[in-house]
Amino acid sequence: MGAELPSSAKTLSQEKIDRYARASGDFNPIHVDPAFAAQTPFGGTIAHGMLLLAYLSEMLTAAFGQAWLAGGRLKIRFRGAARSDETVTIGGHVQRVQEGHEGRRLWCDVECLNQQGEVLIAGQAEVKL
Amino acid sequence: MNKAIEALEKGHRFSATAFVLDEEAVVRYLEAVEDEALPRLAQAEGKAWVPPMAVAALALRSLMEEMTLPAGSIHGSQELEFVRALETGERIACRAWLSHRSQRGGYWVLAVGMEGADESGRSVLAGRLTVMVPR
Repeated sequence: MGAELPSSAKTLSQEKIDRYARASGDFNPIHVDPAFAAQTPFGGTIAHGMLLLAYLSEMLTAAFGQAWLAGGRLKIRFRGAARSDETVTIGGHVQRVQEGHEGRRLWCDVECLNQQGEVLIAGQAEVKL
Repeated sequence: MNKAIEALEKGHRFSATAFVLDEEAVVRYLEAVEDEALPRLAQAEGKAWVPPMAVAALALRSLMEEMTLPAGSIHGSQELEFVRALETGERIACRAWLSHRSQRGGYWVLAVGMEGADESGRSVLAGRLTVMVPR
């Protein structure tokens, strides 16, 4: 318990956000239209929440392998937006372990922070080992 | 039929959708998210596994064909359960429903439940997302 998951930092850019928009089909102008996004409370484009979740998922794949792909659960809240020029850090730690007849179940606190240390995503991931 | 989501009532069921986890789309996704862990794991196991979040993203894309989110809509929260590892070439059928609808400040708060099943009808993905839609 308390073990750290393998954290990583990802530097965003408008090019990366546009690439994700093409891959996911999500062309919401808040992500891809700087002129539109400049008129919103964010003042500029922001990354897709699902792009940040992909970064979290990469960490969970690295930590738990197939157990994440088959039986993984994730429950998160988006607490802030990642601007297109920010570096975000993905991390987490094991919060609870439960031994049972069907194996071990782990609950991990996971998060995504921006470079100011503000929490953009917070939540919990669960895997059965 | 594509509908403005904020005009729908709680309980509304969207038309079922389906999509194939085609290799080209998965490669494009992996490049976009710079995922190095999944290809390494898949290669070690000799499987053509698809990143679980790619399945979720493609499921959301298929559902977006059934609903319109206005410009400025914001993703509020996400719950996902990945029942089994999926491989490229698999066909996923999705169904979704509006599970919550309320107003907060200048936004509609909407929750959509969704479930994906494989060709045998077995559940492979379940989720719930909330979205804040400008009023």
